[in-house]
Amino acid sequence: MTTLLDSPAPSVVEALRGERRRRPLADRASSSGLRAQLEDGIFEVTAGHRPAAPIVIRTSSLRVAPLTTDLASSSLGRLRGVLLIELLRLASVGFQVESPFDDALDAWRCQSSSGAVADGLERLNRDEVARLATDVEAHWTTLRRALGTVPGPWLPRSALRVSQHLGGGDVVLADTVDLMLGSTNTDVASVTLLDVTTSPLGDGAERALRFHALVQTLRTGVVPLRSSAFSSATGELWVRDVDRELLQRGVRDVLEALGRLWRNP
Amino acid sequence: MTTLAHRRLDAHALELLVIDAPNVSSALTDDHRRSLSARFRAVATVGHRRLDAWSVEQAGRTTKGFAWSPRTARRIIGNAAVARAEGQPGLTLIDAVRDEVTDQLLRATSGYSRTGSLAHWLASAPNPVIGLVSAEALNWAIQLRELAETVSSPWKVAGSDSYYDVASARTTLRGRRDLVVAHEGTRVVVRVRSGAPGKSAGPGLRADLTVDTLADPLGVAPARLIGLWPDAGVCLSVDGSMDDLRAGARDLVRTAVAQRRTLTALAA
Repeated sequence: MTTLLDSPAPSVVEALRGERRRRPLADRASSSGLRAQLEDGIFEVTAGHRPAAPIVIRTSSLRVAPLTTDLASSSLGRLRGVLLIELLRLASVGFQVESPFDDALDAWRCQSSSGAVADGLERLNRDEVARLATDVEAHWTTLRRALGTVPGPWLPRSALRVSQHLGGGDVVLADTVDLMLGSTNTDVASVTLLDVTTSPLGDGAERALRFHALVQTLRTGVVPLRSSAFSSATGELWVRDVDRELLQRGVRDVLEALGRLWRNP
Repeated sequence: MTTLAHRRLDAHALELLVIDAPNVSSALTDDHRRSLSARFRAVATVGHRRLDAWSVEQAGRTTKGFAWSPRTARRIIGNAAVARAEGQPGLTLIDAVRDEVTDQLLRATSGYSRTGSLAHWLASAPNPVIGLVSAEALNWAIQLRELAETVSSPWKVAGSDSYYDVASARTTLRGRRDLVVAHEGTRVVVRVRSGAPGKSAGPGLRADLTVDTLADPLGVAPARLIGLWPDAGVCLSVDGSMDDLRAGARDLVRTAVAQRRTLTALAA
């Protein structure tokens, strides 16, 4: 069945912000409790023993079992993801992308010329480069159409690297938020987080949403309004209001990941 | 005894640190300056020596040469954008960043920029790189203004870092500062860093405190110097006490000594 909408579908940015009058008051109280829960949980897992090196927990650490056939973890998949985020960053400041692959490469190369991803790019043959360029263009087209214009007054910040040290510095929660909108200084909750992935959305995306919300809450002391994930493979957008239950599940995800990493470093 | 304090950077941390800052600051006299100069002169140097909090934190170890990138350019453009937006009510930060980038490009076009300057690098960079510089600068500017807006006392963006040329010692000291807050007749200096503070963040903060005091025409120390690491949600602070000023000066001289040792070893 085909359904025709009377008005165009809201963009990702509009869906994230929603209506101002429906936003709850900013929650500045939950952060301390979450931190205390995490600290207690860390002590239970480690039983007071200190690891030789700090245990770093990222969104990739939250996977229950390592995925071997995930396209996103292949070299091309990683490159595609990295280049798409560069394009998202350019779009967030109103830059007109004319040649998606070349623009993304220019932007990425000026800040990263070494590492596994750079090596992966160097190893690609001409056919693979052409395939990557087509892939990036296709994903960018999906993202650009869905994203909409990012208004300057909504304070867009992109590729934010954040971290939280817990357990006396023995456990580090390291996160990168692809796009963040809103301010932590307002009376109503207004911070929204967007994670862009080139894979279809699945359980991993749910866990990533919770992780982003948890780390942001711990870092700023203010609970964000929404956490979301967008797949440029399917055009799907998942938006979750950040509430107590979501944050509690985030805490459980982190402690489970810590347990796995502690047993099998 | 040091006054170094460490706390989480929540919504009220900066305001509390400003309000709690001591009302009386220490001051460095001409004798202090002469003594510091003599100590630096005693550490021989071949060329001109530049020391800052980073070199103190790295214990004088040489790091790879500076190169412009979106991350190294963001603080200059971001700080200038916040200052511009404060001066022009109604101007959004994103427009202020664009204006700052345009100003840099105009400077390069009109021939006022020297080789190696930010304007020169931006003028030769491809368009997507300029876009990425704008994105990084906007991240920085939003973060800085969000922090500044939590303070009720009047604040302004520092026009530049503080610099002090040590007399006859071929040494320049640089102190990092991003915001200057006026509080009850004293000043509180705030500096923002990315990442998380390392174990030597305290000595780095004291070095900045000492340089800021030396750069003051009357030698009056800031009531408090606050270091913010918003990426990690952490802040450190140190008061402008004579003990901390002395410790900062000692660390700077030690860094000069360590630098000389490293260079001597490399030459051998």
